[in-house]
Amino acid sequence: MAEKKTYVADIERALYDIRDGDNAAYKSESGLTEAVIRDISGRKQEPDWMLNFRLQSLAIYNSLQLPAWGPDISSLDMDRIVTYVQPDARLTGKWSEVPEDIKGTFDRLGIPEAEQKSLGGVGAQYDSEVVYHSIQEELVQQGVVYTDMETALREHEAVVREYFMSLVPPKDHKFAALHGAVWSGGSFVHVPAGVQVEIPLQSYFRLNAAGAGQFEHTLIILEPGASLHFIEGCSAPKYNVTNLHAGCVELFVKEGARLRYSTIENWSRNMMNLNTKRALVEKDGLIEWVSGSFGSQVSCLYPCSVLHGENARCEFTGVTFASRGQNLDTGATVIHAAPHTSANINTRTISKAGGAATYRSAVKVTKQAPYAKCSVNCESLMLDDESRSDTLPVMDVEGAEADIGHEAKIGRISDEAIFYLTSRGIEENEARAMIVRGFVEPIAKELPLEYAVEMNNLVSLELEGTMG
Amino acid sequence: MNDLLNKEIFSEIPLRTWGWLGVNEAPVPEGLAGVNPGRQEITVAAGQAEELVLAEREGGALELAICLEPGAKLHLVQAELAPVTAGVSSRLQIRAAAGAKFSYTSVLAGGASVAAELTVELAGQDSEADVWAFYLGDAGRRLDLNYIIRQSGRDTRANMQVRGALTGGAEKIFRGTLDFLQGAKGSVGRENEEVLLLSEDVRNRSVPLMLSHEDDVDGHHGVSVGRMDEARLFYLMSRGLDLSEAQRLIVAAAANPVLDRIPGQALGQEIYAYLQGRLAHA
Amino acid sequence: MAEELLQIEGLCAGVEGREILHSLSLDVRRGEVHVILGPNGSGKSTLMNVLMGHPKYQVSGGSIRWQGEDLLALPTYERARRGLFLSFQTPEEIPGIRLEDLIRTARQAVTGEKVKILPFRKELEAVMEGLAMAPEYAQRYLNVGFSGGEKKRAEILQLLMLRPRLALLDETDSGLDVDAVQIVSEGVAKFHTAEDACLIITHNTRILEKLRVDRVHVLLEGRIAETGGAELIEKINAQGFAPLLAAGE
Repeated sequence: MAEKKTYVADIERALYDIRDGDNAAYKSESGLTEAVIRDISGRKQEPDWMLNFRLQSLAIYNSLQLPAWGPDISSLDMDRIVTYVQPDARLTGKWSEVPEDIKGTFDRLGIPEAEQKSLGGVGAQYDSEVVYHSIQEELVQQGVVYTDMETALREHEAVVREYFMSLVPPKDHKFAALHGAVWSGGSFVHVPAGVQVEIPLQSYFRLNAAGAGQFEHTLIILEPGASLHFIEGCSAPKYNVTNLHAGCVELFVKEGARLRYSTIENWSRNMMNLNTKRALVEKDGLIEWVSGSFGSQVSCLYPCSVLHGENARCEFTGVTFASRGQNLDTGATVIHAAPHTSANINTRTISKAGGAATYRSAVKVTKQAPYAKCSVNCESLMLDDESRSDTLPVMDVEGAEADIGHEAKIGRISDEAIFYLTSRGIEENEARAMIVRGFVEPIAKELPLEYAVEMNNLVSLELEGTMG
Repeated sequence: MNDLLNKEIFSEIPLRTWGWLGVNEAPVPEGLAGVNPGRQEITVAAGQAEELVLAEREGGALELAICLEPGAKLHLVQAELAPVTAGVSSRLQIRAAAGAKFSYTSVLAGGASVAAELTVELAGQDSEADVWAFYLGDAGRRLDLNYIIRQSGRDTRANMQVRGALTGGAEKIFRGTLDFLQGAKGSVGRENEEVLLLSEDVRNRSVPLMLSHEDDVDGHHGVSVGRMDEARLFYLMSRGLDLSEAQRLIVAAAANPVLDRIPGQALGQEIYAYLQGRLAHA
Repeated sequence: MAEELLQIEGLCAGVEGREILHSLSLDVRRGEVHVILGPNGSGKSTLMNVLMGHPKYQVSGGSIRWQGEDLLALPTYERARRGLFLSFQTPEEIPGIRLEDLIRTARQAVTGEKVKILPFRKELEAVMEGLAMAPEYAQRYLNVGFSGGEKKRAEILQLLMLRPRLALLDETDSGLDVDAVQIVSEGVAKFHTAEDACLIITHNTRILEKLRVDRVHVLLEGRIAETGGAELIEKINAQGFAPLLAAGE
């Protein structure tokens, strides 16, 4: 039995763990200096305002302290992080033009296959640059723009300049400032008014280089009445040195628009994932977050929804699975800033084998938001007593017309539930796995099918390792 | 938030979160900086059952350490009825040995600026904490509460029930923590806060923490914050009550489960009258 | 004479160190219907849980054989695979597991054969119709938000879909209204054949109307105080347990 478990775990993880060797065309010096930033900007042939933006962000970075809350990130040494790794590949719209080793990686991750079957467009980033980008002709004809951020900065400079880091300003926190200074790659989506993008767009972020950082920027603008499902995937092979991910996602959901943003994050367990995601939702707009956090050594991830227009809504569904050596601090933030705004937050966390999972959230109702409604439900499952599971929500309500409810539960798999299932002929390990899959089912059912399958596999894989 | 940082810190949350929410620490109340209350200690001997009633009508600082020996029981009643200008702080530390039971009933109705810290250690097997509090925030009152129940013994039971109403320009922060330590097998924790918001100018912050380093536990917390139930208001008004009378009745209904625990008619009636008086002027 | 299915001999068992069953013996053959009557606390549910292998219950003496094999040596799921089925007195609610998925997984586990989804679903829907269950219930999470009667029907649905050799029915009719008892008892009657046996705990003899009862056992304070045929039911209905209790003292 024990051998089988190890065997399965090795095979599965290997999918993400295959490294491509040091195949970069160029790497910046490690550490964070003005020279490094001028070098990145120069290589990208950016306009002056962007270079200045980067330099201002660096100054802010240097002036800010590390956060006084959350997981310990003191092992992160910025002097050792290589902030820019240019792959030896040029951006292309044909997989055949992507170098063999890089294409092989994305093949193993199933990206080209998914593109054929179920996606309207794909972006694939390898280390610091996007190497592949495509979008269906039909969407182009409807005026949808889906491209990498570098291209967007050249071809849609005015739009980028208006929106870029306006929702997550560099002074927000130290890693937002870091992102402003060294960002590279990412996706830009612009959906014109009234256009419904029926099939999802997906960007996949792969970090191959050891000791490197990935700082992609995702900027999505949905004009009034538009709709989109955007999927983000991320992974990296495991190294013995710390890698850093400090991406930034800015989503603008205008009047009556609907955006679903799904993420399955499976970074390797040497990753510091310090990501910032934020959505600004206008009147009658809807943001739906679906978020699965499985990988990383440390994660700090709390997608924020600013409900800025009347009747704006947020649905947040998240699952976090923390295993040995992981400290995953995840949750959500909702700011109710207009009347009749509403939000639902629904999360599940699992911790096992000494892993630590924290649910952290803030629901803020401002005086400008009478009749705000928010309901939060978070459940935590602990699989042993080595692990930790903490719940830390804050509700901050001004005014008299709010309706805010929060519920949280913590516990383990009940012996009675196991007995019930085994009395039906199901083996104990499978009974546990069924219960854990059932526990995350409310989230799995929100994911695109292949991701739901991947999540179920990840859950089963995690359980194989310790149970029985 | 900056002026908060300049004040002396009275009490801290067990696990910090974002600074912009201003909930990580409670400052020392106005007028009490540098005041040293002198710590008093109480021990309830094994197997004894005691009741202790503290009615505070002056304001000022209180610090009390209580030790419950095995099988001891204590019901501590604390009524905060200080004048509307007073600063009030109270720090209670309770340690319960095996089979001990700590019951707590608190009504926070007076004072201009109130900071209260309650820490209960359920260290012994089968020990229990049953904590009930009601607060009323009115005018420019500031209430800053930090309740922590730490469960380290096996088969411990914690229950934290907090009810409150905010009106005028009141500001309140309630932090309630259930902390299950490794080894607290078979323990159960319940925490619930219900807040009624009665005015446009109030600010309510609720921070229910649940921390666990033990899988064999059953923890649950819930918070509900909102305006009065309209159906209930309508029902009362259909019986001839005006809005303010109906509101007073609903606030009393929220307070009653806490007031009902207060022993002796005199104090219960005094508190009830005090609350109604403050609500009538709100 | 029909083949022996279950042989309980001198069973002593209890929970949390307290012995509840004292040297209990009972045999069930293929196709038989046994009824156990007894007041609350007499050990009826303990017997059911011990038969199914609930981890909370400990066996301190005696033996249980299933078609000659030592049942007590088998884990719960193996007992299910041998052909035991327990209809729980209070069925578990398990969020996230759909009723249909449970039954399909369990069917696969007990038969060891891959279940074909479409024929399975057709069969499931037909059986559900027989139990007056709306097909939506198959897609709902196991017992979550089910009424008492719906939970019991979901148990009988599993009984009919898993086709065990011996059904252990622990107060499957309690808390049900007249119509629901009717549906449940029809379900049990459908299950019961010359091959398949039942061991029924009940307070309500209505569930037995559609069955031919072979043996009735009265369980008092952890011992079988009397065994007889169906006529014993009438006697208990008329006199209660008091005369038997008095006789035992």
